[in-house]
Amino acid sequence: MNTRISKILIVSLFCMLLVQCKKEEDDVLYQVVNTVSHGDNLKKDKSKTNIEFHSILSTNLFQKPSSIGELSRIDRVLQSCGDRTLINEVVIGNYMNSPNVILPTRERMIDSTEKFIEETYIRFFIRRPTEAEKTWFTNFINANKSNPLFRPELVYTAFATSDEYMFY
Amino acid sequence: MKRREFFKKAATITAGGIVMPYLLPTGRLFAKTNAPLAEHVVFVIFGGGLRQQDSILQRYLADSQGFNSEGNILYNILDGPPPSSKIAYGTTPSGQSSGSQPIPKILNTSLESQGTIFAEMRAISGGHYGGLNSLVTGGNVAGQGLKVRPINPTVFEYARRFGGFKATDVWFIGNSIGNSLPLLNSSNHPDFGLPYGANFFAPNTTFGSDGTAALSNAKVYHPQEELEPVYAMKNFLDQSFNIKKGDMPGIKNTDEERTQIKDFIANTFIRKSTGQLPMPPVNSVDGTTMGYAAEVLRVFKPKLLVVNMSNIDGCHSNFTGYLQSMHRADHALGFLWDYIQNQIPEMSGNTIMMYVPECGRNLKSNPILDSNDWYGYDHGDSNSLRVFGGMVGKNIPQKLRVGSETNPIGKVTDFNLTIAEILGYKSEVQSSGIIDPEARSLFDRI
Repeated sequence: MNTRISKILIVSLFCMLLVQCKKEEDDVLYQVVNTVSHGDNLKKDKSKTNIEFHSILSTNLFQKPSSIGELSRIDRVLQSCGDRTLINEVVIGNYMNSPNVILPTRERMIDSTEKFIEETYIRFFIRRPTEAEKTWFTNFINANKSNPLFRPELVYTAFATSDEYMFY
Repeated sequence: MKRREFFKKAATITAGGIVMPYLLPTGRLFAKTNAPLAEHVVFVIFGGGLRQQDSILQRYLADSQGFNSEGNILYNILDGPPPSSKIAYGTTPSGQSSGSQPIPKILNTSLESQGTIFAEMRAISGGHYGGLNSLVTGGNVAGQGLKVRPINPTVFEYARRFGGFKATDVWFIGNSIGNSLPLLNSSNHPDFGLPYGANFFAPNTTFGSDGTAALSNAKVYHPQEELEPVYAMKNFLDQSFNIKKGDMPGIKNTDEERTQIKDFIANTFIRKSTGQLPMPPVNSVDGTTMGYAAEVLRVFKPKLLVVNMSNIDGCHSNFTGYLQSMHRADHALGFLWDYIQNQIPEMSGNTIMMYVPECGRNLKSNPILDSNDWYGYDHGDSNSLRVFGGMVGKNIPQKLRVGSETNPIGKVTDFNLTIAEILGYKSEVQSSGIIDPEARSLFDRI
């Protein structure tokens, strides 16, 4: 009796194997949109307001947000000058003179140049650098190693005053 | 590449190669169309709304408050004796009544005697922003809204595009950041715009308490060892981003100009703290603005500088304050001309200064009384389109008065074309077809 049941079970299993479900050939879409999380060509076409710009910048440099009173004051000062990039450079120069500004060390920039460049791009532009950008900055930093005044502060100033940083 | 495509590209590149050297770096395509009459123009907007009756017509209180007191309180600009009674337009010495001490003359010879006065001109708008717009654009669009750049090109853009001047050659000094003044240094016009805009300062903000807190402690970087690498990196980043013209957040100076302006900002804070800035002897907000304008002239010796004043607009609610502001504005204007002539050798004898308010004031008063029980005046009626203007300096006829109360000659939109004639590109501005079609150079009105 047991042998008979076993035979029936084996035959049933064999039949089930024949009609088992197969892996689908087509790609399955789970309604997840492919998104580049830190690509090299993010579209930035909205200009930051003066207050947005300096709120983000001061958070980047001091690791804490500025007060609204300070941001309003900077907004008025920026309006009072026709070249916004230029006056931003002066405001940033003012920030850089603060004892509270937090910057990477020169050693970090020299010893881990690629990492430093990548971190700087992500910090300011919310994206990774392209290979071309990484190469250019690596060469530039290497070429300026012998200049003792060349330091992360200058790199940060260039990023903070760049056109791309004014947009989101 | 297909042969046709190759030929097309080759032709484009060749044409570009031929044209670009003439376009760059000044932006000029053609030679100047007339010989310049002077190398520098200073255009003062004697602004805030100046009533003809109280200013050039010298009726003091007779035509506004019903008192029999007439006289000239703008004696750096105009010839004529000052009022002899009810003196309230001066400064206030301790313990004396308000405005009882007239400010001494700065100029031995009035601007009227040194130059030409257009005694009765017509403004385009009875309002501030429309009036300012008509002055900087030379256009007759009176309905220009606030918080937008002018739709027509400004005098600065004409100067830079047709005159071929760099950004630091062309300045607009505003007395505040209100009334959308910071937007008047350039238009939104697609053929002009920010690439041809003027440098702008509202110095009472830039160098006032706000600016002191935000700018005065800025690091001054070494030009070669520090700034050069910063600019090299920034220029690389900007090339990668490739911002569109319409998205430019402000005008652009070259790297060299940026360094020069940053030095100017740093030095101005130092000179301010040590009392070295040139300022009119009697101070006011307008006077301070003129002092900073003098400092910009001293350092940059620009081809064109426009500066505006506006304190006299207090007339809405304080007629006494209006008289005092008018008197101080005259003092500040006298100071500026004296400073150019005596302290800036490169500009002395080679500059033309022009002045005009953006609008006048109403014929009838409003019901607001000040501390002297004098009525205030608003602006917006036909009387507020009545203004006077003048010019002085190289190649300007002296002791000449053009027009009168019964014979108006000239419009405020004439000044734009006059500046173009002085600097040598009049026909280019005329043929652009964007200015008031009735505008004439003031030289053609004489």
